[in-house]
Amino acid sequence: MAVAVNSDVIITVENLVKRYNSHTAVDGVSFEINRGEIFGLLGPNGAGKSTIISILCCLLEPTRGRVVIDGSDIRKNANNIKKIIGVVPQEISLYPTLTARENLAFYGKIYGLSGRALNTRVEALLDMVGLTDRADDLLVGYSGGMKRRINIAAALLHEPRILYLDEPTTGVDPQSRRRIYDTIQDLNRQGMTVLLTTHQMEDAEKLCHRIAIMDKGKLIALDTQKGLLELVGKSDLIHVLAPEILPGPVESIKRMPNVQKVSLDEGNMTIQLLRGRESLVGIIDILTSSGTQVESIYIKEPDLETLFLHLTGTMLRG
Amino acid sequence: MKFHIIAAKDLKIILRDRNALLMMFLVPMLIISVSGLALGGNYEQNIRISVLVVDLDNDEVSRGLVEFLEEIDILDVDMESNEFAARDRVKNKEYGRLIIIPPGFTESVMMGQDTDLLIIVNPTEESSNTVLQKIVEGYASRISTNVVVVKTVAAYGIPVYTEEQILEIVDTAEEFIQPPPVEVTIESTTSNLVEFTPFTQYVPGFAVMFLMFTTVQIGSISLIKEHEAGTLRRLVTAPISRAEIIGGKIASTFIRGFVQLTVLIYFGHVVFGLDLGSDILALFVLIAAVTMASTGLGLLVAVLVKTADQADSVSLLLVMIMSAVGGSWWPLFIEPQFMQDMAQFTITAWAMEGFYDLLYFDLGLAGILREVGVLVFMMIIFFGIAISRFKFE
Repeated sequence: MAVAVNSDVIITVENLVKRYNSHTAVDGVSFEINRGEIFGLLGPNGAGKSTIISILCCLLEPTRGRVVIDGSDIRKNANNIKKIIGVVPQEISLYPTLTARENLAFYGKIYGLSGRALNTRVEALLDMVGLTDRADDLLVGYSGGMKRRINIAAALLHEPRILYLDEPTTGVDPQSRRRIYDTIQDLNRQGMTVLLTTHQMEDAEKLCHRIAIMDKGKLIALDTQKGLLELVGKSDLIHVLAPEILPGPVESIKRMPNVQKVSLDEGNMTIQLLRGRESLVGIIDILTSSGTQVESIYIKEPDLETLFLHLTGTMLRG
Repeated sequence: MKFHIIAAKDLKIILRDRNALLMMFLVPMLIISVSGLALGGNYEQNIRISVLVVDLDNDEVSRGLVEFLEEIDILDVDMESNEFAARDRVKNKEYGRLIIIPPGFTESVMMGQDTDLLIIVNPTEESSNTVLQKIVEGYASRISTNVVVVKTVAAYGIPVYTEEQILEIVDTAEEFIQPPPVEVTIESTTSNLVEFTPFTQYVPGFAVMFLMFTTVQIGSISLIKEHEAGTLRRLVTAPISRAEIIGGKIASTFIRGFVQLTVLIYFGHVVFGLDLGSDILALFVLIAAVTMASTGLGLLVAVLVKTADQADSVSLLLVMIMSAVGGSWWPLFIEPQFMQDMAQFTITAWAMEGFYDLLYFDLGLAGILREVGVLVFMMIIFFGIAISRFKFE
């Protein structure tokens, strides 16, 4: 994990609400992010994470609540805030028929850079993301991971104090994912505050100092990873994959002594329970005796997925 | 202001898009060439306008008008000395159009007095009447200079009595207004109309149609793609105003369209001898007005649809309808009256009217003010609605 976190707060979110007609996308969310921290918003699609990012980067007006970024209120000083934040959107927000260098130069100019300062910054960022040798190739020929790296670099041209990353590793290969993690951690070591949204546990676990868990517009837990996992205690997860799971065996499993929760999603059954290994044989017996054709069954140690199931009764990836 | 950064980026992207460049320049050039060469015969055979003239003045200026009409290829001019007989011949549909030059016409013009030229027409031949009206208006515009000059001199209390004095003053005035001291000039009509060739129709016709593809279709799709790709969202999170972002998009579309229309009209001039008229400034003003109006329509389409595919279909439909009704494919004045009425709601019709006024009637800037005014009005309406409904998120 990265550097020690400064105690002073750089982002304050208080009772944030965002409504679209009758739909409430963000419902009374409050949290603070410390200077130099990597802070993660974890939750399934539709949890309200991207809406919060949109509000924090002054793209959306909140319906209610207060957001202060580095001393500036987003309702009053949006322009000041835009100068100190860098935004990496979920989609590849670049121009495919421009080269990487041209894309970066374009965004650099938008942020007010020009001449030698612009060129120096572009070269430094190309070097940072390891794409100097491909800098003059059109982006249309890049792999998904390479585009993601340029997507991140485009948010760093003006050397922002805060970096927002919206689902930074969606659709990338493991090698690019590792490279993105390294880049984020390097930036954080240099003092940059990072806020990332993700529905991938791995992102949150590998990167974040603190994690806020969101579901249906609400913040349901906020702590360090260690602190969050203590909420679930020693629960394990057993995942069962079968073409059809009938109600009978599910009810039988629910009545087993150590079982805490059982969730079903088509042919997937997830069982949260204490001392999973001890109960595994019994669960297999119930399933096979009921004629369930089990394709796979495996056991997992407590992690953020377990926590999410514990808190919401549903799987994070659902 | 940073809008030029966005405009420059868009232009760089389009310059790399070989298909877009083909559609902007090569395809319209081919269609203009094929249409003009293939359908040339139809124009030479079809456009003949017979007109009867009664010259009750029979003096220098009226005779000049008759000579002017006789020199125009598409007009068959016959003279009649008796006004009542002439009216009867029109009533009996022997002639579709009659011009009556009143007695004292020359003297009125020379003395700076208001005077009228009467045109009597058969209302069933609307298109030919429009052409004749434009021709006579062009000539009237030219001789009106005399009236304006003499009235101006008289307003300063200088008595003018002899014809020599009047001609001397007009000559002096013309020296001062060539080149015009201000951009707007009433001295813009040449003495002869050029021949109405197929290229007088097809060069501006197809140039305007393909301009629409650039501004309405490609323009709207480009904006929606920025939305879909998230680049628009990214720009909004940067320290650049929303007006600058929209301004950049409008500027790039306008520049593309302006260059395209200019190149295509110039192509017609160089390759097919299309006459550009005597007022090049007016031509640029018209090109700018047409491009701005269609750029506005492109922005409106981008705002009213949700996806790039929808923008593509809606734009294609709009451009085809406007081109057919508005006179891109055939002269507006040969359309039936109800289509001409419908055409008033299209950019194409006003653009084509403007191009006829400049490339054929050579009416100069003063002659296209109405068309430019309507196009600017359309532009304001389109931009007004589009910008008020534009959503960045």
